[in-house]
Amino acid sequence: MSGKSHSFWEEKLKEYKRLLERENPEYGEWRSGTLSPWQKNKPASGNFENSSGISIKEVYNGSDLPDGYEKKYLGMPGEYPFTRGVYPDMYRGRKWTMRMFSGFGTPEDTNKRLKYLIKHGESGLSIAFDMPTLYGYDCDSQRAEGEVGKCGVNVTSLKDMEVIFKGIDLGSVSTSMTINAPAAVLTAMYIAVAKKQGVPMSKLSGTVQADILKEYIAQKEWIYPPEAHLRLIRDMMVYCTENIPRWNYISISGYHIREAGSSAAQELAFTLADGFYYIDLGIKAGLNVDDFAPRLSFFFNSSINFFEEIAKMRAARRIWATVLREKYGAKKPRTMLLRFHTQTSGYTLTWQQPLNNIIRTTIEAMAAVLGGTQSLHTNSYDEAWALPSEQAVKIALRTQQIIAEETGIPDTADPLGGSYYVEWLTTKLEEEAYRYFDQIEKMGGILEAVKKGYIQKEIASTSYRRQMRLESGEEVMVGVNRYQEKEDAPIDILRISQKAQERQVLRNSKVKSERNEKAVINSLNELEEAMRNEKLNTMPYILKAVENYATLEEISNVGRKVFGSWKEPVIV
Amino acid sequence: MNIDSIVKGIENGDHLSISRAISLVETNCVNDNVREIISRIYHLTGNAHVIGITGPPGIGKSTLIGRLSGMLHDSGKKVSILAIDASSPFSGGSFLGNRIRMQEALSSRGIFMRSLANRGISGGISRSAWDVVKILDAAGSDVVIVETVGAGQADLEVRNLVDTVIVVLGPGLGDEIQAVKAGIMEIGDIFIVNKIDREGAFLAIKDIEDTLAMSPGKKWHIPVLGLNSLNGEGYQDLLKVLDQRWDYISGDPGFKDGRLLMELRAIVQNTLLSRVEESFAGKNAFSRTISGLSDKTTDPYSAADRIIGKIYLKGD
Amino acid sequence: MSEERFSEAGKNLSLFKEKPAKVLLAKPGIDGHDRGILVLARAFRDAGMEVIYAGLLPTPEQVVDTAINEDVDVIALSLLNGAHMTVFKKVADLVKEKGITDISLVGGGTIPEQDKPALEKMGISGNYGPGTPMKTIIDHVMKRAAEARQKKMSGLH
Repeated sequence: MSGKSHSFWEEKLKEYKRLLERENPEYGEWRSGTLSPWQKNKPASGNFENSSGISIKEVYNGSDLPDGYEKKYLGMPGEYPFTRGVYPDMYRGRKWTMRMFSGFGTPEDTNKRLKYLIKHGESGLSIAFDMPTLYGYDCDSQRAEGEVGKCGVNVTSLKDMEVIFKGIDLGSVSTSMTINAPAAVLTAMYIAVAKKQGVPMSKLSGTVQADILKEYIAQKEWIYPPEAHLRLIRDMMVYCTENIPRWNYISISGYHIREAGSSAAQELAFTLADGFYYIDLGIKAGLNVDDFAPRLSFFFNSSINFFEEIAKMRAARRIWATVLREKYGAKKPRTMLLRFHTQTSGYTLTWQQPLNNIIRTTIEAMAAVLGGTQSLHTNSYDEAWALPSEQAVKIALRTQQIIAEETGIPDTADPLGGSYYVEWLTTKLEEEAYRYFDQIEKMGGILEAVKKGYIQKEIASTSYRRQMRLESGEEVMVGVNRYQEKEDAPIDILRISQKAQERQVLRNSKVKSERNEKAVINSLNELEEAMRNEKLNTMPYILKAVENYATLEEISNVGRKVFGSWKEPVIV
Repeated sequence: MNIDSIVKGIENGDHLSISRAISLVETNCVNDNVREIISRIYHLTGNAHVIGITGPPGIGKSTLIGRLSGMLHDSGKKVSILAIDASSPFSGGSFLGNRIRMQEALSSRGIFMRSLANRGISGGISRSAWDVVKILDAAGSDVVIVETVGAGQADLEVRNLVDTVIVVLGPGLGDEIQAVKAGIMEIGDIFIVNKIDREGAFLAIKDIEDTLAMSPGKKWHIPVLGLNSLNGEGYQDLLKVLDQRWDYISGDPGFKDGRLLMELRAIVQNTLLSRVEESFAGKNAFSRTISGLSDKTTDPYSAADRIIGKIYLKGD
Repeated sequence: MSEERFSEAGKNLSLFKEKPAKVLLAKPGIDGHDRGILVLARAFRDAGMEVIYAGLLPTPEQVVDTAINEDVDVIALSLLNGAHMTVFKKVADLVKEKGITDISLVGGGTIPEQDKPALEKMGISGNYGPGTPMKTIIDHVMKRAAEARQKKMSGLH
């Protein structure tokens, strides 16, 4: 990036430091006059620090906020800088989408679960894939043994996608697919299924995750070196911008960064830094920022520190809008909107006293709604153990319905706006984020920082520190390190039988015996050439290979041959 | 597994035996196990080209070694690797981390690799490294690669442990090269600029060549090579240079004499040192001599001479 | 502070006086969830052990290879993707196949209670889930390391 943009982060950081360095005479007087005498005989004990290591004061007041804060930094919902929400009427106009992640076992199992959820009022489909699919291996690969259908549904060829969406009209649903390294292949498969259903690309709506940077940072599910994946993502961005107007091709994900052990501030900073990288990528590919930025959406974690999470989401919106406008010159307000999906934290769930997880999830879900999320997945209470059972999924969905329809929480936009504490914390988290942006820039950008292992090490250190706090009891997890009980019998667990793999392997060999082998080989050869030619867009070639029933691994192997593989730097 | 089966296993190149033997010699002070193993395998050593690979951290040494050892193996040579790792500065524990990047290349070919924690010796190569190299040599290796991490004392010491020192540097390390030059430039027999695809690589090569040109000519002409570990560029040249180096070493019958002398000296030094520590460790060590000193019936030099005589003779 | 919390555990036992316990940490499946294993790596290190982290996505063969080459005392396996019954077993089988009797196997991750007896039978002990106190895990690993070290020493002469 240029010298000009370099100073952008420094300037921002300076601005936020200034905002937060404030005299607060009222607070000082109150401390000495009221608080100290009160605490004389009973000093407060406990841990008043949030996940980001920010110390929380006893109370916040108007002097904690800069002059003119409301006008410049807060605004109204649906207005720049969108701190109070991306839409003017927020949830009065439209409730958030209750999107429950599903997908397990065979495509048939997933098809049944999707139909079950649609029947129970779910408004968007969300699909999880198993490990072999995420890493680009077929169900009959040696590496897939024991893993088929375990953490999601297995997709080996187009045939599997056809089964997953059997009887579901792709023209009338919106589908979110949690897929990264092989995102282009799965997108192509989705397009191919739609074509068979007679649904035109222009009517398809949905999201693929395709956020490869956070894979190197946190989830560690990649196939090729970063540059190769980024090139394929670029191809997908360009292809979808031209052909599928309602396809959100990158869901920039902080969720996994948080689950990997980061703090809220780190989640905020690293996720947005990834986002800025994709903006740069699109601009470099010749796209206009106002054309493609609206297709990028975000995916955050909602963890257990209630106000910190709300502040994080508000801060994210404000940073994105500000940077898109000030740094990238976005013209349309739509471009500046940070729309996001939220999932409640899996990390905070415990296998001890699992019913407590329902409460945790409820609190986290409330934070997401108060933070202004566009869609929400609530975890099931048995998720610390295994894939959720049907009953647990239903309670999780009901949790959202209760918040949406009984509590009155969605009645007004950004109900916590104007709270001294929340506004201060929002600003403070932004400062932390700008500090990281500046640091990352100085390291040569996010890609370099990731390749050097810097980001991963930052997260590992935070994660270790938190573990030590749990060990010492400084931080509490109810049922785990306080209020432990002798555990009851294990709760019912959904177990994926080995049969899933057998059935998949069987189907796959049938697919392979019926397909036109010559067409498969030809399309794979063409794809190889396209991959070797930086100037070509690989998407049409992937689509063709998929339609010929080339398998995911066969397609991925072409990339492995062209791009090689990747080993991350030593993190520990 | 007893010593007999371990020694036999080393002769047969059995990984379990080699590994166990290394565990036994991997100790700070020489004990009977070390003596027995080394004495029984020593006649098998001397056939391997021992190559040290050193350079600043993060330069891609592990990837390079993974690739190089794979190519050496594929050309019919038996390769073993010793990676010397830094100990944790916080406690006795350590991460032996440099396997990760080469594991795939190693496992698929059955190449033996061992990590050695640099226990308690700040910046230096631990005593046992010499013995580990002997074991790998005796196990029939054609090439033993020794990786040391980072610049510093260990890099200089590696000079005495190996036949050939490869110094790996990166492009765009202008300042770093200046900084490490002082020590590292003098020990290299081969210089490599890794990541040759990056900007500044050719300048780095030029810079190294210029620096080498300033020191007086040696018999061995020190080559400077550019490598790209991603696509393998330059690796064939490196193989060729290593062959030339081995020819050069083989053509000089006295090549290892200097090192053998150094090693002998180190062993004698260490043995005596530990005997000194041992004999002074007791609470009432040399109490008679001490009272002699306070009575002025002897003087420190005469007393020391007597004690030294005892230490030298002990055990013989 | 926290660095010292577990220290000494890996060094105190007379078995480990000369050489600390050596542990290989590995996730032998296709599972990138490494938060737990990275925390363990640090905690084991701070407990004075020598830790080898096998990185991501090693095959069971690579894990056993590494264990042999490094002559570790313990192979500590972790998986969060539900494939433990297949993948842990592969590692245990390979260890047996190579005739190794003096390296201990321990496991951890999301392992349901009902799987534990079968794992124990394969020689894989511990099998702790999330939320287990670090000290419990470290003590167990040290116990199994001591067993392995004992076997190595007694077989020597």
